[in-house]
Amino acid sequence: MSLKPGRAKRLESAISICLLAILLLIGVGVFVKQFDVDMSRFGIEAATVPELEIPPDLASFVPAGVGAISETEVYDSENLYEKINGRAALYLDSGFKKLLTQRFASKDDKNLIMELYLYDMGNVRGAFSVYGVQRRADVDALPRFPVSYAYRTSNALYLVHGKYYVELIGFSESDKLLKAMIETGQKIQANLAADSDTEIAELDLFPTEDIVQGSAKLYLADGLEFEGLTDTFTTRYRFGDQIITAFLSKRADAKQAQNVAESYCKFLADNGGVDKPTTDKVLEGNIIGFHYETYDTFEIVLSIGVYVVGVHEAESQELAEKLALRLVNELSKAENQ
Amino acid sequence: MAEKDETKLCRRKFLTRAGKAGIAIGAAAGLSRLLYDATGPKTGVDTESLVTLQNFSVPYKAGRTMSVVKGADRVKTVDRAIELLGGIERFVKPGETVAIKPNVAFASPPILGATAHPELVAEVVRLCYSRGGAKKVYVADNPIYDPASCFMLSGIGKAASEAGAKVVLPKTHLFKRTTLEGGKLIKNWPIFYEPFKNIDKLIGIAPIKDHHRAGASMSMKNWYGLLGGRRNIFHQDINTIIAELATMVKPTLVILDGTEVMMTNGPTGGSVSDLRRANTLIASCDQVAADSYGCTLLGLKPSDLPYLAKADKAGAGTTNYESLKPMLAAVS
Repeated sequence: MSLKPGRAKRLESAISICLLAILLLIGVGVFVKQFDVDMSRFGIEAATVPELEIPPDLASFVPAGVGAISETEVYDSENLYEKINGRAALYLDSGFKKLLTQRFASKDDKNLIMELYLYDMGNVRGAFSVYGVQRRADVDALPRFPVSYAYRTSNALYLVHGKYYVELIGFSESDKLLKAMIETGQKIQANLAADSDTEIAELDLFPTEDIVQGSAKLYLADGLEFEGLTDTFTTRYRFGDQIITAFLSKRADAKQAQNVAESYCKFLADNGGVDKPTTDKVLEGNIIGFHYETYDTFEIVLSIGVYVVGVHEAESQELAEKLALRLVNELSKAENQ
Repeated sequence: MAEKDETKLCRRKFLTRAGKAGIAIGAAAGLSRLLYDATGPKTGVDTESLVTLQNFSVPYKAGRTMSVVKGADRVKTVDRAIELLGGIERFVKPGETVAIKPNVAFASPPILGATAHPELVAEVVRLCYSRGGAKKVYVADNPIYDPASCFMLSGIGKAASEAGAKVVLPKTHLFKRTTLEGGKLIKNWPIFYEPFKNIDKLIGIAPIKDHHRAGASMSMKNWYGLLGGRRNIFHQDINTIIAELATMVKPTLVILDGTEVMMTNGPTGGSVSDLRRANTLIASCDQVAADSYGCTLLGLKPSDLPYLAKADKAGAGTTNYESLKPMLAAVS
């Protein structure tokens, strides 16, 4: 079947136009698609979708007579180092999510400046971890606060409120500034939703006798420099002029606790620890116990139920065992409740 | 017959069409050739535009390389420390241009000890002008956090300006790329270069601080402030980067302030209880020696800080500061 020349020409034109139109559509498609790249195919993570959560208004926590002198700054894990430089790693390793900061000054005296740091650490354990590790020694605890994780120095106030770790840094040492900081801290605890547990159960398992108040720390990783000891709490005890550390780490089950205790003992032995048997019948009979004399100090490692507990760097075996027995008693009491 | 003529491809028509097709192909090929980038995107080091910081050090003088002065007043201790090394006249000649690189890393007040002390910076500026006869003194640093706030709240901006220095804040056009020869990390990396390009002498001023990553932040770590870009990536290999910085920057003099030492929670601190009064100031032409002494004020030994040994090995100075026979003094 043959077409008339005129019709053939029109058909050719129509086909050409169709082909050009298809090419044009392909071009438009490529152009549009280039703005929708799946970065994961190139090993690049797409930016996180910003949270819709409304950030707390920091200015709402400061007392009357104190006003903002800077805008609120927001930092995430990508740019935290811009604000705190070399300390960023400590926070990032502890579950850091977001930091809000703002500077405030007394309306009466512009030289009385404080800066509020509100770290969202994801949960209370993350917040307590950075709080405990940085806690200053020989400072005043703040018993008036609803929870005990708060203290002040002569120019600053630090506290844990649920998932938040809060720092209020005064730019000078002033009673007036300190009063404003304490009021701010109290307002935060009263008015800011904690979005997390506010207490940490393990801390109640430590015996209170001879404890150095405020010495509790939580190491989320590498507790006592041993990588197997994660989520490890430590507290210090004063016996005369000796300071001894007790530690406690909760594991998923008793078998795991026993494995971690044994691994830690092996770690001590590999690092010069010498097995030293106990003379205490309770320690010897009730639990799996290991004694090491390392660098002229004594270590006791115990596995009690789901807990790995022990005594670290005691100068005398007698005191090490005394503290270990108190730990055993405290855990037994908790178990029986 | 006419219909046959329309559809039949005659020789003339074939040649015409072939010619047109040839021209079209040739034009496309020619255009492609014009647009073709034979080198491809640049992934390596653009060596042509790289800069190098000059060597600002002064000739060695036996027994006059390092001084340690005890005292609570920074103005008095720095005056004495420099005097023991031969006076500022040894380091700054009349008509010279001097750059001072203080640690201005944070927007925090002097009371917290996280930055160089403004009184110290101001006194060195004054010495450069009054005794050294400097033509111009610049004070420059590149804090990542809002530089204007850092210079303002640390008090360094005001103190330096009042002493006659020109404060230079980092701006994009003031950065150039550099590569440290033999370096592992400093490769084609932007540094805060322009304020240090046409100067004659360079003086570093840093406080002694605990540092969460590095163990200690002192004279050598102070040069970290010259780095641009996303320099936090270097925290993964902090010892190497500090040693490389000490190799890259050859200062005239470093002043290490141990009047109040940040013993814990560095480098930011936050509480005055993080500080311990050590009343010690070190001036040195050898930054490795200065830091090796400085770390003892933090209760550390030079061997506790791997970057010191690395810098020593790289020839940036000596960790054996005692071999320099530091000059000791005290001022009241």
